[in-house]
Amino acid sequence: MSGVRQVTAEVKSTRERYTEFLCRILQVFAVVSVVILFSPGLNPARMTGYIRDNVSLFTCGVSYTALTRSMGRALNQGWISYSSIRIIFAAGMTIIIATILSLANACMSLGNLRLKNKGAILAMISGIMQLFASVGLLMAYASISNTDRPDKVNPIFPNAVYVYIVLGAVMFLIAVTQIIIQPKAPNTMNYYMAPKYKLFLMFLPIVILAFLFSYLPLLGWRYAFFDYKAGEQLSINNFVGLKWFTLLFKNEATRNDIVRVLKNTLAMSGLGMLTSMLPMAFAIFLSEIRNNKFRRFVQTLTTIPNFISWVLVYAIALAIFSTDGFINTFRSQFGPGVYSINYLMNNSQMWIKMLLWGLWKTLGWSAIIYISAISSIDRQLFEASIVDGAGRFQRMWYITAPSLLPTYFVLLLMSIANILSNGMEQYLVFSNAMNKSSIEVLDLYVYNLGIGNGAIPLSTVVGMMKTFISVILLFTANGFSKRIRGESIV
Amino acid sequence: MMGKLIKSNTKDNLKVSKNQERRFKKKPGDIVFALLNGAFFLAFTIICVFPFYYLLINTISDNDLVKRGMINFIPKGLTLSNYLALGNVKDLWTSIYVTVGRTVIGTSFMVFVSALAGYLVTKKEMWNRKFLYRFLVITMYFNSGLIPWYMNMSMLGLTDSFLAYIIPGFVAPFNIILVKTYIESIPAELEESAFIDGAGYSTIFLKIIWPLSKPILATIAIFGAVGNWNSFQDSLILNANSPSLYTLQHRLYIYLNSGSNLASMMGTGVSATQAANAMQSALNTKTIQYTISMVTIIPILCLYPFMQRYYEGGIMMGAVKG
Repeated sequence: MSGVRQVTAEVKSTRERYTEFLCRILQVFAVVSVVILFSPGLNPARMTGYIRDNVSLFTCGVSYTALTRSMGRALNQGWISYSSIRIIFAAGMTIIIATILSLANACMSLGNLRLKNKGAILAMISGIMQLFASVGLLMAYASISNTDRPDKVNPIFPNAVYVYIVLGAVMFLIAVTQIIIQPKAPNTMNYYMAPKYKLFLMFLPIVILAFLFSYLPLLGWRYAFFDYKAGEQLSINNFVGLKWFTLLFKNEATRNDIVRVLKNTLAMSGLGMLTSMLPMAFAIFLSEIRNNKFRRFVQTLTTIPNFISWVLVYAIALAIFSTDGFINTFRSQFGPGVYSINYLMNNSQMWIKMLLWGLWKTLGWSAIIYISAISSIDRQLFEASIVDGAGRFQRMWYITAPSLLPTYFVLLLMSIANILSNGMEQYLVFSNAMNKSSIEVLDLYVYNLGIGNGAIPLSTVVGMMKTFISVILLFTANGFSKRIRGESIV
Repeated sequence: MMGKLIKSNTKDNLKVSKNQERRFKKKPGDIVFALLNGAFFLAFTIICVFPFYYLLINTISDNDLVKRGMINFIPKGLTLSNYLALGNVKDLWTSIYVTVGRTVIGTSFMVFVSALAGYLVTKKEMWNRKFLYRFLVITMYFNSGLIPWYMNMSMLGLTDSFLAYIIPGFVAPFNIILVKTYIESIPAELEESAFIDGAGYSTIFLKIIWPLSKPILATIAIFGAVGNWNSFQDSLILNANSPSLYTLQHRLYIYLNSGSNLASMMGTGVSATQAANAMQSALNTKTIQYTISMVTIIPILCLYPFMQRYYEGGIMMGAVKG
């Protein structure tokens, strides 16, 4: 008897399988309706020229002020009636609620029969609400298109209403079908969802956030192919293909800029790599200090600069090196003559200076990882080497350094992958009219070009190239690491 | 020589001392090395700390002496007038509220999301776990570039808005990896026994995982807080048109670059007597800049002793990849 029950529990009935299928369709519909809700191109509320074409239905349904922002005069003059705008707003809000309901159904339909039963009702309501909202939007359009001043109001038939009519009708029909064919869950049945779906739904918001802030920006690469100026729209009219890519190499001024900026970038990253041994040396020599308190003291105080921002580093630079900074006042007070040189306002040795500021800020911090590694070296190695007569420097060279090399190697490979990304903060704060030519690194150049000059397409192209090269470098470095150490760094 | 060493070793080989090298006679070379080494580290430490000290003594000394460049090593004519005068700088206070707000709110959310995500990705039974985890982690290795990021933020309505500081920081993949690695080291029996006792995922997370992973959560909280406090770029790019949303670092950057206006600004919007006082105390651009810099540094310095306890652990854990 129990065996038979087991079988019936596992094998799903035909009706159950159909229900499952309908649930899947409704889940897809839910996702699609969210995408439509947020896409400005499919905004059924955009039925007059006053509603900007970069506004999505979500914005229209959430914020009445955003909806009416630019139509104040039209409303006052009676070209557009308040009631029609209120209908649009209400329809937008209805569709938002309907979308939320269909999303709720999508989540609930991952659960057991009881949850599915309840979810189907929500989906049905959602479909009805979308149909109602569509009718409302059509009514609003009828009112708007009867305006006295069609030249000003510029009525546009919102084709996207059809999308919502279809979406709502199909959703309603599917939900009703599901309600009819699905097996009724007994009232004694508890709400239940399989752990795998429960965990998935808990994790989903995090994934969506990652999508919004890390993947969605990739969509912005399309600006590289358009002649885009701030506030305009992308359309087939300003599509320019690869114009900006060729301009980068053809236009002499741009080319010279790129060469100069690349030279700065590579020089600063290169200097950084050349000095990448320093934190390791710092750690090795620090560990030679016998006095524990003094060692701790040095380690603590040399780490502080790492935790302050570059703006503050610049504040410190001003305090020490500017016209009335420490160096000048000190020289004036204790030496002959009066000094007022602004050491920050010249262009000499900018690469070295930037390197030194970088070292000042991060040397103590970067050494920590090596210090921890040194403390994990087997003491017996040192003892044995002393017995064998090894001197201090031999111990450093033959025992400590080799055991730190793997760490060093990983960090070096990472810096190769990041050769084009020096960040912009340090260079932005230190840049001024005098040193601009030798301090401008790639990241800063993109910022100056895109945000400063508004050359959005060109700076997007530069950024794209940078990303491609960086990813290639990362994989190359990773390949090296795999080949040499048999371990990947990614 | 070797014989001697071995003899001296066998003599007291039961006494295991921590620094066995100490038993050997110090050679003059050792002393010279120790002195040079110590001197170098002392010098570097002074270079690291002196600027902070210099800022401090210039903000608490008599402004007249500061102006004449007399304060180099020792504070003279102690006064707190510079710090008290900051009360008049309205913009500064707005930016302090903004920065404190984003630090507290942003860090709390980041820590909670990292803990939750770190816990969830350790659950093997999750639907499509591997894919979703990779989907998160891979975001560390590419980036769309500054301009597309800016366009995206403006498309999402996150320009000229306080939320621009908070929401993008929710998901921090590196921190999620740290938490995940840590949670994996917690004995699975703890969770299993709770599960048998009827606890669900959220109960296990709140009652077991959250308390047990406090050390790593403290580490990421500290780094997150420092990052928020030091943030400058998002304010500069996203909220350029809303001065009331500038972060403290952005405000400081503006003050540093337009120092001359600052002294005059201190005079405006203040009652006549206060303005006169301000004139009397000879407030100059330099000391105001120094004072605001100190205000920006002080919280970091105050937090620093607590940070120190955690950051070493954090670094080492960063080396262990998820």
